[in-house]
Amino acid sequence: MQNFVRVVQSRWLALLLLAVLILFPFIVGVLTDSSPFGVARGDRMIMRGGSVRWQSVLIEVYILAMLAMSYNLLFGFTGVISFGHALFFGTAGYVLGLMLEYTALDTGWALAIGVVAAIGVCGLLGLVIGLVTLRLKGVYFTIFTLAVAEMAFIFFGRWSVTRAEDGFAISDLPVWLDPSQSRIGFYYITLAAAVATFLFIRRLVNSPTGAVFKAIRENEDRAQSMGYNIINYKLLSIVIAGMLAGAAGLLHVILNKKVGPEILGVAYTVDPLLMTIIGGIGTFTGPVIGAVSLHFLDVFLRDATLVLGGVTIDIGNIWALLLGVIFVAVVIVFPLGMIGTWQRWRTRQRKR
Amino acid sequence: MRAQRFSLLAIVGILLFLVGVAFVNSNSPGDFGITLLSGLFQGMLLFLVASGLSIVFGLMDVLNLAQGSYFMVGAYIAYDAQHPGGVIDLMGALPDPNVRFIAAVAIAVASGALLGYMLERGLLRPLYSRPIFQLVLTFGVSLIALEAVKFIWTTTPYSWTELFGVRETFFELFGQRFSTYRLFVVAIGGVLIVAIGVLLQRTRIGIIIRAGVEDREMVQALGINVRAVFTLVFTFGCAIAAFGGAIAAPFLGASTTLGSVFLLQAISVVVLGGMGSYAGTAVGSVLVGLSIAVAQDTAIGTSFAALPSITPMLLLVLVLLVRPSGLFGNTR
Amino acid sequence: MTTLLDVREIHTFIGQFHILEGVSVSVQTGGITVLLGRNGAGKTTTLRSIMGLLAPTRGSITFDGAPIHGKRPHAIAQMGIGYVPEHRAIFKGLSVRENLQLAERQRGDYARKSAFIFELFPDLARLIELPGGNLSGGQQQMLAVARALVPDNRLLLIDEPSEGLAPVIIEQLIAAIQRLSDQVSVLLVEQNFRVASKLAQRYVIIEEGHSPISGAMPDLMRDQALVQRYLGVA
Repeated sequence: MQNFVRVVQSRWLALLLLAVLILFPFIVGVLTDSSPFGVARGDRMIMRGGSVRWQSVLIEVYILAMLAMSYNLLFGFTGVISFGHALFFGTAGYVLGLMLEYTALDTGWALAIGVVAAIGVCGLLGLVIGLVTLRLKGVYFTIFTLAVAEMAFIFFGRWSVTRAEDGFAISDLPVWLDPSQSRIGFYYITLAAAVATFLFIRRLVNSPTGAVFKAIRENEDRAQSMGYNIINYKLLSIVIAGMLAGAAGLLHVILNKKVGPEILGVAYTVDPLLMTIIGGIGTFTGPVIGAVSLHFLDVFLRDATLVLGGVTIDIGNIWALLLGVIFVAVVIVFPLGMIGTWQRWRTRQRKR
Repeated sequence: MRAQRFSLLAIVGILLFLVGVAFVNSNSPGDFGITLLSGLFQGMLLFLVASGLSIVFGLMDVLNLAQGSYFMVGAYIAYDAQHPGGVIDLMGALPDPNVRFIAAVAIAVASGALLGYMLERGLLRPLYSRPIFQLVLTFGVSLIALEAVKFIWTTTPYSWTELFGVRETFFELFGQRFSTYRLFVVAIGGVLIVAIGVLLQRTRIGIIIRAGVEDREMVQALGINVRAVFTLVFTFGCAIAAFGGAIAAPFLGASTTLGSVFLLQAISVVVLGGMGSYAGTAVGSVLVGLSIAVAQDTAIGTSFAALPSITPMLLLVLVLLVRPSGLFGNTR
Repeated sequence: MTTLLDVREIHTFIGQFHILEGVSVSVQTGGITVLLGRNGAGKTTTLRSIMGLLAPTRGSITFDGAPIHGKRPHAIAQMGIGYVPEHRAIFKGLSVRENLQLAERQRGDYARKSAFIFELFPDLARLIELPGGNLSGGQQQMLAVARALVPDNRLLLIDEPSEGLAPVIIEQLIAAIQRLSDQVSVLLVEQNFRVASKLAQRYVIIEEGHSPISGAMPDLMRDQALVQRYLGVA
C-alpha cells in the first residue's frame, strides 16, 4: 500500500494526465453536447458529433506518437539515422490489409494472423536491412533505408496485387474494432497501445540493454572497445523500432479503413523525424509532445488563412513549407527540442 | 592490384551486359543508338549531381541530401528565365532565344552557387561538431526547397516550349533521327568531366581536395584553412548541380519530382563508384545512366513499367550486398 | 637560449576523460627536447594540444611570445610549427612530390628546400613521382619529416618517429633528425629510450597527465632510479 501511495505521489502529473485522457471522450461529450458513442441509427451506430470527431483527432495523435517514439528509440537513443521508417509503417498496413481482404479466412482469424504476420514481417525487414548495412559506415544504413523505402513506395504503387495507386478499402472488421462503428472502443485501444509503447520504451532504455544503446549513441568506438557487439545491439534497436512502427501502421490502416501506397510515402518518415526533433530527441516524452504539438497545429491551421498586407495566404498550402523552416530552425537553434531544452534549463536552475 | 583489376573487370562486364541487352532489345542500329544516346545523356546529368555529392562527402563527411534540390531549382530558374512571365522575364531584354538560354543557364548557376554558399556557411558550419544533425539538416533543407518551389511555381510540371537553336535541330544516323541537344549535353558533360579531373590532378586546390578527402586533419596541420575549402567545394558542387538542372530542363522540363528522383539516382552513382572517388563518380554516372536507358527500353510493352524507376535502387542494393566500397572506393 | 615554446599548466579533455591535468613544457630555441613517459601518459595529447587539434580548457601555450592556445590548427601551423604525427599521416593517393608541394606555405618553398631535403633523405628523390601509398614504412616516415621541412618552420613536433621501423632505418632517421635540428628546434615524443637519448638534449617526463620532472638528458641517463620509476624500462 505504501508503495502505491509513493508511486502516485511521484507521478501524480502523469497519472492525472492519463485520467484526463481516459475520460476525454466523455469530457468532450459534455462540452459539445454529443454522445461519445455516436448517434444511433437503426441497429448501428453512426459516428457523428463533437466527441466522436475529437476522439478521431486524439487517435491520430496516439498513432503518430507511437511512430515518433519508435523513431526516437532508434535515432534518439541509439544514434542510428533511418530515412525509411515509412517502410515499416506501410508494410505492416499492407500485410494486415491483404490478410483481411484477400484471404478467405474468417475475420477474427485473419485479424489475429494478420497482426502477428505484419509485425513479424517488420521485424524481419529490420533484421535484413540491418544485417546488410550495419557492418558498413553509418551513412550506408541511412542511404539504404532511403532507397528501399522509395523502392517499396514505387513498387507497391504499381503492383496489381495491391491495386496499385488506388489501394483498397478494408471493409471487413469486427464491430468492436471498427472505428466507424465503435470509435470509442478504438480510442481506448490506441490509447492503451500508445501508453504501452511509452512504458515499454522507458523500461527498455533504462535497462542494461538501453544503457548500451545510449553508449553507442555517445561514442560507438568506445562502446565497441568496452567489448559490446554493437552490431547486435543496433540490430536489436532496429528490429524493435521497426515492429513498433509496424504496430502504429496497423492501427493507422484500421482507423482509415484503407490501404494505399501513401502509407509507404516519405511523409511517414519525415513526420516522426520532425516530431522527435522538435519534441526532444533522446527523451521519453519528447516524441509524444512533438506528435501532439505538430498534429494539433496541423488540424488547427489546415483551413486557416493569414492576411498579410492585403495578401491572403492559405496556411494549409504552405504548412509543409512552414514545417520545414521550423525543422531547420530547431535543428540549429534548439537541437535538444522542447523537452530537451527544458530539461537542460531545469538542470541549470538546480545548480544555482 | 587485385582490387583495381576487379573494378576494371566489373566495369567492362557491366558495360558489355548493358550494351548487349540494348542491342538485343533494339530493332535497328538506329534504335540502339537512341538508347545509347539517351543513356549517356542521363549519365552526364547524373554526373553533374553526383560529383558534388561524392566529393563533398569524401571531404566533409556530409551527405548533402539537398543536392537533388539544387538540380531541381536550377531547372526551374532556367525554365523561368527562358520563358515569358514567371519570376524572371527576360523576353524584352534578350529577344534572341539562344542568348536568352545562355543567360538563363548563367542565372541558374549563379543562384545555385549563392544558395549553396548560404547553406554551407549559414547552416552547416554551426553543426560541424554534430555530424548526425548535418545529415538531418540537409534533409530538412531539401524539404524546404521542395515546398518553396511548389509555392513559387505550383505543382504543375512545365514543359519547355521556348525552343532555341541547338534544341530544335536534329541529325540523322542509320536512318534514325537524333536530337542534337542530347548530343550537346553529352559533349558538355564530357568536357566537364575532363576539366574537373584536370583541375583535381594539376592544380594546388585539386591537390588540397584530394589530400583532404584522405585526411583533412593533416591538411589543417599543414597550415591550410580547410573550412574555406569546404565552403568552396560545397558551393561548387551545388552550382554544377544547378547547371545540370538548367541544361536538362529543355528536355526534361521542370517538375517537383526532379529533386528526389535525381538525388536517389545520384546516390546510387556515388555508392557504385565509391564514395569520395572522382573516377568512380564519372564511371558510375555513365553506368547508371545506361542502366536506366536500357531498363526503359526493356520495360516498354511489359508489365514492369516501374523498372526504370527502381533500377538505380536495385543497383544500390546490389552494390551494398556485393562490394560496398564500390568500384573505386574503400570501406573506411 | 630563448624560450621558443612555453606550455603552462594545460588541461585537456578528450570527451569526458581528463587526459592532461596540468602539463608544463618549455622548449628552448635550438636542439631537441623529448617528451618521455609510458603508454597513455598523455604525450601525444600534449603535442596535439600544442598543434590546436585539441583545445586545452585551462592553462596557456605561447610560441615565440605569442599565445597560440585556442587558435585553429592551420593558424598555429602558419606561425611556424610543423607537425609530424604518429603513424606518419602522409597522403597515400598523392605522389611524393605532391605531398611535399602541399606543405608549401609560400610560393617557391619546395623549390628552395628540395636540395636540403634530398640531401637528408636521398631516397625521396628517387621515389619522387610514386604515390605515397607505395612507399615503405621507413620511407613514409622520411617523407613525413621532409614535409615538415618544406615551409619555414621554427619548431617541429615529431610523434614516435621510430615506431614500427627496422633498426637500420631508425639509424638513418636519427642521423637525419640530428642534422635538421641545426636549422629547426624539435619537440620529440619517443617511446624508444635509446633513440630518445641519442637525439635529445633535454627531457620532460609526462606521467598520468602531469609533467613531474624535466631536465638535461645526460643527467637522466645517469639516474637509473629515475628512469626505472617513470619509464619502467631497462
